[in-house]
Amino acid sequence: MYKKVKSLLGAKTSLLHLFLMNNAQSNKINLLALLLIVSAVLFFGLDLFLGSVKIPLNNILSILMRDTSEKETWKIIILNARLPKAIAAILCGAALSVCGLQMQTLFRNPLAGPYILGISSGAGLGVAIFIMGLSFIGVSNVGFSTNSGLIISSILGSLGVLAILLSIINRLKDIMTVLILGIMIGSVITAIIGIIQYFSQDAQLKSFIMWTMGDLSAVTRSELTLLAPIVIIGVILSFLTSKNLNAYLLGESYAKSLGVNIKQSQFFIILFTSILTGSITAYCGPIGFIGIVIPHLARMISNSSDHRILIPLSILLGINILLISDIISQLPGIEQSLPINSITSLIGIPFIIWIILRNKKIKNLN
Amino acid sequence: MNTQINISDLTVGYDKTPLLKGINLTCNSGKMIGLFGRNGQGKSTVLKTISGLLPPISGDFNFEGIDILVLSEKERAKVLSIVSSTQQNIGGITVKDFIAFGRFPYTNWFGINTNKDFQEIDNAIALCKLESLAHRNYDELSDGEKQKVNIARAIAQDTPLIILDEPTVHLDLINKVEVFKLLKELSTNHNKTIIISTHQIEYALQICDEIWLINNKEIEALSPEALINANKLSQLFDEDIISFDKSTQSFRLK
Repeated sequence: MYKKVKSLLGAKTSLLHLFLMNNAQSNKINLLALLLIVSAVLFFGLDLFLGSVKIPLNNILSILMRDTSEKETWKIIILNARLPKAIAAILCGAALSVCGLQMQTLFRNPLAGPYILGISSGAGLGVAIFIMGLSFIGVSNVGFSTNSGLIISSILGSLGVLAILLSIINRLKDIMTVLILGIMIGSVITAIIGIIQYFSQDAQLKSFIMWTMGDLSAVTRSELTLLAPIVIIGVILSFLTSKNLNAYLLGESYAKSLGVNIKQSQFFIILFTSILTGSITAYCGPIGFIGIVIPHLARMISNSSDHRILIPLSILLGINILLISDIISQLPGIEQSLPINSITSLIGIPFIIWIILRNKKIKNLN
Repeated sequence: MNTQINISDLTVGYDKTPLLKGINLTCNSGKMIGLFGRNGQGKSTVLKTISGLLPPISGDFNFEGIDILVLSEKERAKVLSIVSSTQQNIGGITVKDFIAFGRFPYTNWFGINTNKDFQEIDNAIALCKLESLAHRNYDELSDGEKQKVNIARAIAQDTPLIILDEPTVHLDLINKVEVFKLLKELSTNHNKTIIISTHQIEYALQICDEIWLINNKEIEALSPEALINANKLSQLFDEDIISFDKSTQSFRLK
């Protein structure tokens, strides 16, 4: 087994050599990765520890390790609320960062992100129809449990947009047409959602607006058992595209001349991104800015454009930032948790402005 | 071993609109071939087609017994490499890493370079005399340096055929000459077949073994001497403005 893995990876398999030839650079990046793993563990702990109800640390540990606690409510809070939420933050951060990176490279555009393809707009339409539209046409949605109804409608919406994209991608000559198409689909859907909103009642309008603000706590433990494998598999599959993504840096002609099957690899990159974005959006709503900002942060601190480095680094950074955002959104002293989308934007936007001002140009991406 | 290049009945163009029809060319491989023609006559289209970037409308391109146009991208990448006139603008990558892109068709799914790959990369760097630049950042280089790095990348790709589309177009005189001499060296001493389109006709005449001339929707193959003697170059341009002087082998303004 070991031999097989070794031959699969090639001649040089030490972690140092995995990350390129320059040892000083790879040392720095390995150290960075280690730091980010440690900080992610810390933030994960902090995310479990902090909240409107104060639970002592030793109790959190005993709940996690031995499934016992002084108070039954603490156990419920940790296991059914904070733990799923923290795990959702991890999955979200990892998935959206990887998707953003892939889209920025595929479209050679520094402002591309996971939502550029219009996938989340599709999800939004699904949800809008579910929350506001069904009652409008006289069908009651009370029969569904609201949460699973949201998820199903969101998945259907994302799949609809994905189906449109995939059915035409092979007929389009230029990948930039896909970009424009994605934006157009997004705009049309936003317009449709606007109409639905206009005719809907206050209560339903509010619950739709709540959905657009993103909510990590919407993910229940049982749903995690589905979301987690999808995200983990999606991220691994995305990682497998890193060699091809590197070739994309040279532009399409050169990539093709180096042996990349452009149509096929574009298809898979878009498919993986859509599945990741679609499922995250379905469970947590559209979470903004992480997907655009994190890849730039990864490029900036690694000073590399090698996706074999950027993908793992983006995953780690995404996990850290989203855990921090989640911690801020539920800081003690505030009864209700703040919408996660506002936090990510408040962290993300100043950061991207800072990058632009500091570097004059957005690094390593034209 | 088959040492022939055969283009047979090749029709090239975009969207089924032929630009050049029924191209038939034969010559020996291992040569340096210059492609001449005025702007808009289809030089780039021909090169894009024979390098597999643009599907042909009809016809075949056979290189040393290999049908280039039916190969998959992956197989083709081991037979031919390309260099275009435009340079990419990529940050966060050293010259050596950029040249390492040439090993892309040979590395495993994760792009791990083996010792042989590193050896090929070092060879390419040495051939192009880029040692002093190897650890610089690619985006800090001048246009001429970038183009040499691009050629080094094509050399690292270790293909018997290299196709270059106006590689010297943005370069100054010295860089142009250096690129031409490097290409000549590759074809004479390393048995590579070089197909290069260029407007640097006077240099190309001195170093190419064979000229493919596009004129009036026709393409014909000639030796540089035959081309000069038949006065084809003057006919290529407006003879009232410019003519080709056979004795000095250069263009003269009128």
